[in-house]
Amino acid sequence: MIIKSFPLLTIIFLFITSFTMPLFKKDVISKRLSFITLSISSVISLISVIYIKFNGEIYYRVGHWDAPWGIELHVGIIEGIIGLVFTSVATLAIWYSMFSLERSMKERIGFYYLLINILIGSLLGIVYTNDLFNAFVFIEVSTIAACGIVVIKNKKENIKAALKYLILSILGSGLVLMGIAFIYSITGNLNMTFIHNELIKIHGQYQSTVLITLVLFTIGLGVKSAMFPLHTWLPDAHSNSPASASAILSGLVLKAYVFLLIKILFRVFGLEIISQYPLLDLILILGSAGMIMGSVLAILQRNIKRVIAYSSVAQMGYIFYGIGLGNELGLAMAIYHIIGHALTKSTLFLSVGSIIEQTGNHKLTDLRGVGKEMPVTLSIFTIGAFSMVGIPILPGFISKWYFALASIEAGKLLYLGVILASSLLNALYYFPIVINSFFGEENLKGRVYMSKNKPLKELVPVLVLTLLVFLIGIFNKGIIDAIRLDLF
Amino acid sequence: MSNTVMLIPMFFPFLASTLLGMIKFATKEKRNIFVASIIIANFLFLLLIIYLKGTIDVHLFMVNNFLDLYFKIDKLGILFAMLASTLWIFTAFYSFSYMTHEGKEKRFFVFFTFTLGITISIAFAGNLFTFYVFYELLTLSTFPLVIHSGTREALESGKKYLIYSFGGATLVLLGMILLFSISQDMTFIPNGVFRNIFIDNSKLLLSIYMILFIGFGVKAALVPFHSWLPSAMVAPTPVSALLHAVAVVKAGVFAIIRVSYYIFGSKTLENINGNLYISFLIIFTILLGSLLALHQENLKKRLAYSTVSQLGYILLGVVLLNENALIGGILHLVNHAFIKILLFFCAGAIYFTTGKKTIGEIKGIGKKMPITMWCFAIATFSLIGIPPANGFVSKWYLAAGGLNSNNVLFVIILLVSAFLTAAYLLPIVIAAFFQGDKDINNTENEPPLSMLLPIILLTAIVVLLGLFPNHVLNYIESIAKTIV
Repeated sequence: MIIKSFPLLTIIFLFITSFTMPLFKKDVISKRLSFITLSISSVISLISVIYIKFNGEIYYRVGHWDAPWGIELHVGIIEGIIGLVFTSVATLAIWYSMFSLERSMKERIGFYYLLINILIGSLLGIVYTNDLFNAFVFIEVSTIAACGIVVIKNKKENIKAALKYLILSILGSGLVLMGIAFIYSITGNLNMTFIHNELIKIHGQYQSTVLITLVLFTIGLGVKSAMFPLHTWLPDAHSNSPASASAILSGLVLKAYVFLLIKILFRVFGLEIISQYPLLDLILILGSAGMIMGSVLAILQRNIKRVIAYSSVAQMGYIFYGIGLGNELGLAMAIYHIIGHALTKSTLFLSVGSIIEQTGNHKLTDLRGVGKEMPVTLSIFTIGAFSMVGIPILPGFISKWYFALASIEAGKLLYLGVILASSLLNALYYFPIVINSFFGEENLKGRVYMSKNKPLKELVPVLVLTLLVFLIGIFNKGIIDAIRLDLF
Repeated sequence: MSNTVMLIPMFFPFLASTLLGMIKFATKEKRNIFVASIIIANFLFLLLIIYLKGTIDVHLFMVNNFLDLYFKIDKLGILFAMLASTLWIFTAFYSFSYMTHEGKEKRFFVFFTFTLGITISIAFAGNLFTFYVFYELLTLSTFPLVIHSGTREALESGKKYLIYSFGGATLVLLGMILLFSISQDMTFIPNGVFRNIFIDNSKLLLSIYMILFIGFGVKAALVPFHSWLPSAMVAPTPVSALLHAVAVVKAGVFAIIRVSYYIFGSKTLENINGNLYISFLIIFTILLGSLLALHQENLKKRLAYSTVSQLGYILLGVVLLNENALIGGILHLVNHAFIKILLFFCAGAIYFTTGKKTIGEIKGIGKKMPITMWCFAIATFSLIGIPPANGFVSKWYLAAGGLNSNNVLFVIILLVSAFLTAAYLLPIVIAAFFQGDKDINNTENEPPLSMLLPIILLTAIVVLLGLFPNHVLNYIESIAKTIV
């Protein structure tokens, strides 16, 4: 069946088109090319999800080489859904940037779209691959592409942020590489399924090696997905990029690494092995710390993009929290939160991007009363913020609810407090933004209604994202059930 | 016709308020007619559906066992919804005149109609999840009303309101999660979801009850979580009146009734002693509310603290867990709604016509505004509980309930508090009628008719409820019989 090769096809398709972009002199062409290829990839991803739903998971041998020797892709329903979310969010973000990118930067427009295509291709690679070394290659590709995107505006703070990101990222990839080396030396395999089978037999003999490997992977991928004390690069990198780039970096890039971590922990090692070590408790504690500290740091920020960037740290904390609970529901909710947060955070970044673009202000104090000037954009932002705070039916609430049920199931009642405290803290920094922009005599004085509104056609991608956020919330049961069926 | 028609009185206001926001009205009169027809039409829808359909239910959408928007019309819900719709009509007419001097009327009426839909949804919510959804929305939709004036003080109070409300809602969420993990069911069923389940972990159950009680108690202005209520007095008077009478604080009380009798059930509560610890908080609320009210110079603030203490009565009736007390509690919920909205309307009328806010300023105002102040006086007597006014009936039942539970302490507290009520409300009446300069210019200066008429009609209702309480009383008795 040709559909079985669709996952590989999307990756290769995105890579090849990106390399043709420099051939065109006009930026407009690369812009359209990027949008078209990404939309085609989302359609292909959708078809593969439907195919997997009816025919079961896909194991695809690249170049018809059988598993231990050749590279294998494994796409189950979870990978399929995540791939679909990645491609569709990227498509919408690029659609948005088609109208707005030129307003925030003048040159290297074509290069930006080239990097985006490479980035999305490599992220899909990380999600789909069933081969550890192949995953490492994709990690490196995505890191370089992401750093390129951070630095693309070519301003002082961008270079600083990109260097910080590059150094910490390379440290992370180095740790991952060492982990792979360790695991290769004891199992002799790079294919995840084969490693798992080997580890089941031999992990008793190599307990300390297994522990070291686990820690290396957790820390290495933890740096890249902004696990709490290792998040320091994130706010700089995310807040200085163009809006669409922030949306992709925050919504998708972080998620690919954390998903790889989930695959390594639960597919390569398996719950049986990792539960012998206190690793999951460590992840749980770091996740909880991230949930609280991310929000506390966000409260202290004055720049709206940094607020949202720090909020990402908190939201990644939720995902680590779900992993750390170590039960089925927790893990399923971590994956659901990956999806929900990818959509919500990109909605927030795109709406904030248009606010900054229209008003030129990025300080919280300057954004007062902006709700009167751009009511539609601010309403979209409000919906995103409500989801973060946990207003029912939106995905943020669903995540919190099931995370709480999962912690009760795991017998960790005290951790309920973390969830509740974190949602209160979320309210503490999202609500003032919303309130001050819509209400208040002083805030609204001299503002003209709808004066700075974006043309509606430029807002369509953001509106579609908002709609998706609602749908993810409303149809949570189907998604969660699908995830739970396919858990490792 | 299927049961979905029952959604009309909940969702029609949402639709109408959206329309209201979009239509540009040529004159204020046209807008007022529009608002009035929405609210009256909604009242008629409600009546019609209750009359034609009786008790019905509908699953709006059911995703799974807990994520289930479920509405059910039952007798308690009808009581609350009717109370809200009736008072909404009075408030609408009152606001048409009152809001002219506050400005931004359109925004006010948009959120005003929207809140009506939410309140009715709360009344008919069939399970705790649905209740919680609309409870959160209630906070969000009343917030713009509280900070209507947009001054710095208003924003500060609004912030306080949000923090308290969301803090409470978070506790409610925690309670819901724990509850759901035990019972797997959050539907409101008379006598509770636990009646067939043997519960051995009574400590956990008790803590869930306490968490839910305190969580909802924040909205019901339970001391020490009451301080948002006096601050919220910066809102325009019709808003304060509604917040106090039905919309917000009564939603909290209503929630506690639902949780106590429809989730836990009186038997379970008795087994886990849920009422014991709570009643200390409530006694504290009754006494402290009255004592604090004594010190307020601002008329609206004094009324606000009075609400705190009166809500204590209602809660006391709820947690005594016997039939008489519950009847008294629910009856007082109704009576207090009418009395308090009347008192606020009078205070608002004084402010509207003379610009006076404090008790010191209104000396002798009874000569200028005799009708308003007579209505105020009647409401005062009702609240103190002088027979035959309606406050007396509900207090009688509360006292009987206290005696039924073999607790004289409650009766003593009721008496002390009635005395305190007299002590903080009567001076206002005395100041209005018997103090002030003799040679003051005695031209009558009543508020405009659209404000005066609601005041007079409400007074009539208060008096009638006192003279002929049987219809309401029988209805409440029939509710109480099924759940105690």
